[in-house]
Amino acid sequence: MKKESKKQIKVTAKQKSTNILYLVVFLALTFTSTFTCFLPVVFAQQEKAVSLYKESVKLLEDGNIDKAIEAIKEAINADPNYPEAYDHLGYILLKKGQIDEAINAFNSALKINSRMRTSKTGIGLALMKKGDLKGAESVLKEALILNPYPSMTHYVLGLVYEKLNDYEKAIAHFKEGIKTHKVRVGKE
Amino acid sequence: MRGALLFFFLYLYLFALPVSAQALLQTGSQAPEFSLKDIEGKDIRLSQYSQKKAVVVLFWSTWSAKSPNALKRFEGFLKKYKDRGIQVLGVNADSQTISNEDIEKIKKLVNDLDITFPMLMDKGLKTFHEYSVIALPSTIIVSEGKIAYELPGLPLVGTEDMFDYLLVLAGEQPKKKMEPKYKPRHDAIADTNLARGFVKRKKYDVAYTLLKKAIEKDPKYMLPYVELAKLYELDGKNAEAEEILKKALSVEPDNVVVMSEFGYFLTKAGRIKEAVEILDGAVKKNSYAPAYYYHAYALAKNGQMIESLKAFESALSMNPYDQKLYSLRGEVYETGKMQKEAASDYKKSLELILKIRE
Repeated sequence: MKKESKKQIKVTAKQKSTNILYLVVFLALTFTSTFTCFLPVVFAQQEKAVSLYKESVKLLEDGNIDKAIEAIKEAINADPNYPEAYDHLGYILLKKGQIDEAINAFNSALKINSRMRTSKTGIGLALMKKGDLKGAESVLKEALILNPYPSMTHYVLGLVYEKLNDYEKAIAHFKEGIKTHKVRVGKE
Repeated sequence: MRGALLFFFLYLYLFALPVSAQALLQTGSQAPEFSLKDIEGKDIRLSQYSQKKAVVVLFWSTWSAKSPNALKRFEGFLKKYKDRGIQVLGVNADSQTISNEDIEKIKKLVNDLDITFPMLMDKGLKTFHEYSVIALPSTIIVSEGKIAYELPGLPLVGTEDMFDYLLVLAGEQPKKKMEPKYKPRHDAIADTNLARGFVKRKKYDVAYTLLKKAIEKDPKYMLPYVELAKLYELDGKNAEAEEILKKALSVEPDNVVVMSEFGYFLTKAGRIKEAVEILDGAVKKNSYAPAYYYHAYALAKNGQMIESLKAFESALSMNPYDQKLYSLRGEVYETGKMQKEAASDYKKSLELILKIRE
């Protein structure tokens, strides 16, 4: 009797482990199928966002600022984790003179990717436009550390020093911008 | 085998590359395709005129004094020789960004001069830069997809030669006896383009070989000499750079591009007297803006600041979109302790490099 009950316990334990295995397989399959079923949707949204981003860049080049903003906002709706889209929105808003909104957009880009160097440069430019030259200087210096090809950051920093009437430093940064751009072109 | 194939395709690709970006040495190169909006907003492509014997692309601006004359000359030519297979396209290069006010100004001038050929707007000056324009007005004649003629400015003699060239294309007799126009060999152009690609990738050894081959294939083609000299200089081989520029000048002593590059080279080497002398000659050739700013730079190094600034102004009036001009003038100002002016010029140079428009 004792032997039988031991056997039964063994059988139940074996069944249990088999059931767990089935459950794990079932869950894995469900998860994978659910995940892979959503993947095309995610990719499609990302693709849509990229295409809208490109459209916005073109619209901006053609001088259609409002339409460029509409397109980039749609891109953000399609993919809210697209830092370049926020960054681009920031630059358009700067062009429109909406400086605080631009800073928000740049910060959104930095929340997704804290090493988004163009957004740091954008914040520097925005602060300069707001008249906070010291604030701009400090953000731009930070951006310089992040950026291996920092022509644009040197340019904005040069503008800041020019406004501060520190022409020596302005010259140094403009010249560095020219030099680093040449190095970049050589590397491409 | 795979390497050879790859090289072959790269060769083909570079052979088809549009235009070498060296003003005045572009003849024979592929003309870059463009699609620009005309003054009414209609899209116009260069290739839509591929059936024509020649397409004249006239770069002009409302602020350049000689542009109205150039527009009038071409309009007159077209009226007389219409239906002879010559198409003229005006490309306006007033500024990087064209405002509605600019468009009105352009429309007014076009109406006042009674211009009937298409007038295209070069937003962002992309086409201007792709054609390496160095002065306004500038004329490029495209025939069979290739650059057949280029003329910066509207110089007295050069302009008549160009119209003679067009007369021949239109099936007429030229006004004066024409020398057959020199066309560089295609394989020399291809080698030079290929070499430029290798210089960009810092594969100097291959670039050296290709440029030397290009010179061997067509010793009259000046571009590989200029490129080879620049490469030697980049590589720290100044004696070789000088030798190759001298060799180019022995083949074509009056070539304004080579004269200008040699003058600039000598200035950088501190041989100012020699530089000023050769650049004096280059400037007299007229209309080549780099000759003017290299001359200006040499004059400043020679202590002639007032003359230097005047020469920079002349270059500026021909082409205000050349970043090197601002960079060199910036250096002149900086040496002269004019910090504010220096900062402003370096800034402008960087803005042109980064294509910042505002």
